[in-house]
Amino acid sequence: MPIDRKRINGPEETVPYNLYTKLNTKSLLQEFDELFCDGKRADNRAPLEHRKIFLKTGVVSQAKGSAYIELGKTKVIVSVFDPREIPNRTDYSLKGEIYCEFNCTKRRLHQQDAEEKQYSAIMKQALESTVCRHEFPNFQVDIYALVLHNDGSPLSAAITAAGVALSHAGVPMYDLIVSATLGIQHNVKFLDPSNTEQRLCDVSISSDGKEDSHGIIVISMLHTHEQISQFYQVGNISLEDITESVKVLETACKDIVPLVQKHLVKHILKTIKNNEDYVILVSS
Amino acid sequence: MTLCEAEKTFVLHGVEENFRIDGREREDYRPMELETDIVSHAFGSARLRLANTDVLVAVKIEVDTPFPERPFEGKLEFFVDCSANATPDFEGRGGEDVAIEISNTLSAAYHSPKVFDLRKLCILKGRKCWKIFVDILLLECGGNLFDAVSLAVKAALWNTQVPLIRQIDIDGNNVELKVSELSDCQRLDVKTAPVMVTVCKIGEHCIVDPNVAEEQCSVGSIVVSVSENKFSTVLQTGTGSLHSSTLLDCLKLGYKVAQRLDDALWSTLSKIQPTEDVGFLK
Amino acid sequence: MAICFPIHMSFRIKVGLRFFKFLNEKCPKKIHIRLAAHRVNTSVAVNQRYPKIYTPGEVITSQNEFMRGHGTYEENGDLKSSVAGVREQVNNLISVRPLKSRYNGEVGDVVVGRITEVQQRRWKVDTNSRLDSVLLLSSVNLPGGELRRRSAEDEHMMRQFLQEGDLISAEVQSVFSDGSLSLHTRSLRYGKLGQGVLVKVFPSLIRRSKTHFHNLPVGASIILGNNGFIWICPTINNAEESVGGFIQNLEEVIPRQERETISRIRNCILALAQSKMMLFDTSVLYAYLRNPLSTPYLNCWYQRRWWTSRY
Repeated sequence: MPIDRKRINGPEETVPYNLYTKLNTKSLLQEFDELFCDGKRADNRAPLEHRKIFLKTGVVSQAKGSAYIELGKTKVIVSVFDPREIPNRTDYSLKGEIYCEFNCTKRRLHQQDAEEKQYSAIMKQALESTVCRHEFPNFQVDIYALVLHNDGSPLSAAITAAGVALSHAGVPMYDLIVSATLGIQHNVKFLDPSNTEQRLCDVSISSDGKEDSHGIIVISMLHTHEQISQFYQVGNISLEDITESVKVLETACKDIVPLVQKHLVKHILKTIKNNEDYVILVSS
Repeated sequence: MTLCEAEKTFVLHGVEENFRIDGREREDYRPMELETDIVSHAFGSARLRLANTDVLVAVKIEVDTPFPERPFEGKLEFFVDCSANATPDFEGRGGEDVAIEISNTLSAAYHSPKVFDLRKLCILKGRKCWKIFVDILLLECGGNLFDAVSLAVKAALWNTQVPLIRQIDIDGNNVELKVSELSDCQRLDVKTAPVMVTVCKIGEHCIVDPNVAEEQCSVGSIVVSVSENKFSTVLQTGTGSLHSSTLLDCLKLGYKVAQRLDDALWSTLSKIQPTEDVGFLK
Repeated sequence: MAICFPIHMSFRIKVGLRFFKFLNEKCPKKIHIRLAAHRVNTSVAVNQRYPKIYTPGEVITSQNEFMRGHGTYEENGDLKSSVAGVREQVNNLISVRPLKSRYNGEVGDVVVGRITEVQQRRWKVDTNSRLDSVLLLSSVNLPGGELRRRSAEDEHMMRQFLQEGDLISAEVQSVFSDGSLSLHTRSLRYGKLGQGVLVKVFPSLIRRSKTHFHNLPVGASIILGNNGFIWICPTINNAEESVGGFIQNLEEVIPRQERETISRIRNCILALAQSKMMLFDTSVLYAYLRNPLSTPYLNCWYQRRWWTSRY
């Protein structure tokens, strides 16, 4: 893919210096033990405890709808733009389309790389089943997600925020959509893993050929319909572990839903209150 | 191609009856045809034909520098080329989305070291490693791409000959490798390489290996990639959503079929004679 | 090019059995991956004489008393072929018929087509010909009497009668100067098709005959469209349901027995088409009866029953 040299003149990739230092000699198992000891994780969470979530809507004033989400240190902004006609299309499609762009700011070029494209495809698939697409024939809804800080589970954060942003934009939806991530390593399940945990779950640390599962699962749920709109897994996980994980993730999603609902109601109440002020101003 | 409601109903009832339009049961595959070692200038190659889907995979090997964060590992890269010969829709950038989806799913499926150990491709820690390019060319599209591609990739990797390193000379920053002849090579270990199965939900039931008409009737499908007895990646495609119990049923079915598919592939690979070549012309 | 001269029926049967031999070896539930080296040659013309096959640009004749037909052109007084195919001659008319071609419509042909577009007072129909065919609103039988005036209401209802993706059987009414076809369904035999399977083959494999609607005695009906689209459906009971309407019964569940017959006919037709055999009612029926394995995934007991009951 050609690179636009005029826009960014930085190097194509950077390597952190500490990779070359001699200090980096800990084995993966030691790292794991440091991260998880006495049933507590590095940030004092229990394995199946979600991080605190902060939500805010209406952060991008020019977008139709937008949302900002924080999961611990992970910060994501999602903005939704008006439905517009699909460019360069000749045939008639009965259902609308969703276009998702997923941006990650890990010293990358401005162009989407394969991982971002994969994530946007997953996000698109997750959101497609919740938006009432038959109401937008031949239209597309643009959704942009920008990861400001990646400290694990950015995809879940983006999908949850996209659900909030869509409802903020007034796009008709069947259901609220929330998402959660789970990492598995060494018979421990980490709900909502941080970046280091996620990195550890990516590789297999038991070298002695044990049959441990390791990997990451992301699901997104439609709450009232109890439907899974997206299921994505990487790693090496047995069927039993997946079955258990799905249950864990379902309950986690159920816990997030009231938060999102409360936030949306609060936001609307606030808007009404502001409007009331406005009405009073006009009438006086 | 669009189907009318009556045709869809016929397909749907057939799936319910466990008797599909071509006489298969829900868990049956269409017959496949496999051929290895057909690209002479590649290190390994395979061609798989599943009904109207035709996939050609070629493997090339290069010496490269390992990633600084993973000095003990080699590299594996997948590239999918959607030829406009397959369907005119692939012309220009038309096939890009499909290509990226397939190559990303493949790299996710081969990601875990338990599935494909990249450490075996290391030549000299932090300095030299093998880099494997897996080039996938879609010659014809007749549905069920993921399954066909994963089988062809596995067969091509099985067929791949990695040269042996005879001698390494280190002179300051220069590393010189002496490599064995092509006749004296090592095969890659692909016993645990994943096999993908697309499980398609039609009505209340799940089927494998959907043909084009059945793909039209389905609301969503799940691509399951299984290596030995574990899942290496699961991806949901299509626009529908599933209840969690349905999802688990799909996973179970995919798991079961993937085992059979893997067995079938191995028994076929074991039958390959070294001098049988057919090529495209027969 | 085995299609162009008659092959004795016993030869057909032998070939059919050879073709299905490899299917015989598999038992149900096992996934079958065959090596390319073990491929079975399904060509049927192995021991036969080939007719002369003309290639594009080849001189057919330099005598100029012949007339120029399809697939030929004239240059410097020579008649040359413009396609790869076999020569066909009717009196003075020479034409070259290719194996793979799109459908060349002729008035009176029975076709099976799929609606691609709904337009003003007409439907566009995909009939495998070079251009989309048209079905005028005035050349269909509307519900409520054959000789009814088309009102403006009917125009608005057009999508209710036939919508995009629907399959119809029809007859070619006329051929326009650009080669596109005008269809009609003004007979109770024609109209919207219900539940069943569509199989596509080369149009040149369909033999023209007096009727293209067949109720096969094995319990299924086929419509062999001249355009290479073949429709297989459960036996049409003329007394109860007239095909000429626009009603599809989506509730009806077709029983397993009929489903098996339909699938088997489908596989037989595909096998015959792969071996480039002409398709007509007898050839399909013979293939069906002689190849109990043509639905490769039937259970073994079913196969055994077939052998014992027939032979």
